[in-house]
Amino acid sequence: MPRILTLLKTYPALVIVVALAIGFSVLSPHFASSGNIEAMLGANAVVMIAAVGMTVVFLAGGIDLSISTVISASAVISGLAMAATGSVALGAAVAVAVGLGFGALNGVLIGFFQLTPFITTMATQLIARGVAFVMSAGIAVKGTPFWMLDFGFVQWFGIPAVTVISLMIVGLAGVAMTQTTWGRQVMLVGSNVDAARFSGIHVPWVTFSVYLFSGALGGIAGFISIANLGNAIPGVGDTLLLIIIGAVVLGGTGMAGGEGSIGRTVLGVAILAILTNGLNLIGIPFYDQLIIQGVLIFIGTWMATRFGNRRDA
Amino acid sequence: MSVHSNPVVSVRGLSKSFVGKTVVSGVTFDLFAGEALALVGENGAGKSTTKNMLCGLLTPTTGTILVNGQTVPKVIGAEHGISAVHQELSLFGSLSVAENICISDLPGAKMRVDWAAAERIAQEQIAFLGIEIDARALVETLGAGKQQIVEIAKALLHASKVLILDEPTTSLTAVEREKLFVIIDKLKARGLAIVFISHFMEEIYRVCDSFVALRDGCQVGQGRLAEVSQRSLEEMMVGRTLEDARVNLAAPSQTPALEVRGLSSSDFKDINLTVHRGEILGIAGLMGAGRTEIAEAIFGLRAAVGEVRIDGKAVPRDVSAMMASGLCYVTEDRRKNGLFLNRPVRENLSAAHIAGFVQRKLRGFGFRGEKARAHDLVSDMNISVPHIENNVSDLSGGNQQKVMLGRWLATNPEILIFDEPTKGVDIGAKFDIHEKIAALAATGKAIIIVSSDLPELLHITHRMLVMRKGRIVGEFLRSDFDSVKIISLAASSNEGGQDAA
Repeated sequence: MPRILTLLKTYPALVIVVALAIGFSVLSPHFASSGNIEAMLGANAVVMIAAVGMTVVFLAGGIDLSISTVISASAVISGLAMAATGSVALGAAVAVAVGLGFGALNGVLIGFFQLTPFITTMATQLIARGVAFVMSAGIAVKGTPFWMLDFGFVQWFGIPAVTVISLMIVGLAGVAMTQTTWGRQVMLVGSNVDAARFSGIHVPWVTFSVYLFSGALGGIAGFISIANLGNAIPGVGDTLLLIIIGAVVLGGTGMAGGEGSIGRTVLGVAILAILTNGLNLIGIPFYDQLIIQGVLIFIGTWMATRFGNRRDA
Repeated sequence: MSVHSNPVVSVRGLSKSFVGKTVVSGVTFDLFAGEALALVGENGAGKSTTKNMLCGLLTPTTGTILVNGQTVPKVIGAEHGISAVHQELSLFGSLSVAENICISDLPGAKMRVDWAAAERIAQEQIAFLGIEIDARALVETLGAGKQQIVEIAKALLHASKVLILDEPTTSLTAVEREKLFVIIDKLKARGLAIVFISHFMEEIYRVCDSFVALRDGCQVGQGRLAEVSQRSLEEMMVGRTLEDARVNLAAPSQTPALEVRGLSSSDFKDINLTVHRGEILGIAGLMGAGRTEIAEAIFGLRAAVGEVRIDGKAVPRDVSAMMASGLCYVTEDRRKNGLFLNRPVRENLSAAHIAGFVQRKLRGFGFRGEKARAHDLVSDMNISVPHIENNVSDLSGGNQQKVMLGRWLATNPEILIFDEPTKGVDIGAKFDIHEKIAALAATGKAIIIVSSDLPELLHITHRMLVMRKGRIVGEFLRSDFDSVKIISLAASSNEGGQDAA
């Protein structure tokens, strides 16, 4: 029994995931089918990858509002590069490079010039969105290589390849956060930035690295979005920001920093994924779904406060 | 004793405990109209707690407060005519003087504020104090002296009986201070009872009629100032002859470990000091004398000019360079810039030396050695904690301080700067920490202790520097330690350092 309590304390969102999964399995015979689960996993790879980036920023006590449109900009520029050269490898490299570029911009301004994360990344969000629409003239980028179109349907080990990639990123980020000096420094900076400085941690570099990291993941997410949708869409990230933030918070990673984990975010993404999918399956109209989602976020936040680690500062 | 009318406020056996720890016990005194009472004692003697109970910010655990002979269950400042000017100013810089003065009781009908009336009230208050200030000026545009006047005017609005002034002169120039004393005389003449808290003995004798002396939360003396000499009052505050309680410190070496040359900033001027291996150097002084600023500047946390040498080599004043040279600084404010409160004890212990807790096999990867290392530190430092995975916020102040100490000892420092190492720490932990510091010095570490707790410095240091207003004004060897001399040197309002021993 205490072990279950520890598990709940570490992953307060687990209850909701299990409850939703059981509930929808009962309500809809299709929910638990392998086809539906695959569809759910594939459709949420982009959000999963971006949410990992957002989680790391949250853990460091910041926020990255630009991650959604960095997805768009890197998708568009990567799509243009692939259309021009036919090289998928180049496309992937370009996507990551674009993400790193925006991440570095955020990181320099917030880490070294000490601008406010909220305003800085909001400005970057606008710039990235503008770049995405200007470079694509506002329409989907044509000429995606066939390999890329096919990649969205490829399966590795019986699950969609894009899901495998997103899970690999989850694993790597989890290891980075819990097993490396860098991850520890991120947590400490998020927990108490003054104490981190007094302990000899180079706060500007750590802050810079965190935004660089989320930028890179935004780039990868943008690349994956091409595989999912078949084209680089300039508005692909526009509606994702609140889903990404919602998933992170619902999973139990606080916005104040130093509290939460990558694992929690996986559950947060799962909640929103299961909810959207399940409500669609049982035929709940879109706008009714929004009301249910909102109520659920209340419950999730309450659970995180009630069962999650107590915050004292 | 002179003949008095009835006291306006009487305090009988006032005590206050926080979570089982008694910080003030059995304080008893009377306040008379037209008289000023000095509340004296060292830092931590219980002056602030007594003040806060008197003005209603704290409810006494036991004891009674009588206003005009009537027992009141809880003081309500505005209702009972008791008001305080606290040490830290509580003004809103971006609001006007009038708004600040009237903030707790804005004039007007229903929802509408009558700003003209507010300005008139404020202007009347200021005019009474005899200072020229425009009631419409924004407070942030005023100098420290005038801000202090605004603060007094604000308190006066509700102080029909008692006005409490807590260290009102620390931010004032000599001229402003004299003006303030004239105002206090005026208020006494108006029939107000004044409670005056100050470290400066000259001010106390200038302003006050009677005194209450506190030490370690207990009332150790009271009476008329005319009947007690400054020296015996100071002895009352410092108390016990601490020479008896001194530990036996090993003799320090003659090898300098840390040398500071000509360090200056806006908070301190031309600081020169040397600490030798095996030596414990104390830095004494009042709050605001610039001690913490110096320590932080040496460690590279604060901008300053000047040179810092470690083992004879100049080291750039940068935290990582200082740490690499074997220096560490244990902060005075562990909650603000020491502890990671929502992280476990284990992570708090490894924070300053994360790489050192990583297992060797895989560089920069994995923390398998961390738990064992944390357990070692917990037992080594005698930290009482149920589990190293508990959040550090669950620990008592003393154990938190030991975690801070453990964190820095894990970096294997050669030179340790402790800033208020036993602030907010119970007696047992204090003893442990002192013992640890003495043991560190005995193994050849060089140690600086910055402390407001003079008995602590007398107890544990080889040598002491006294600071006042950003300068070193005196130096005492252990054989010449004289607490009364040190206190009067630290608190003297004479400019310059000619009175140094």
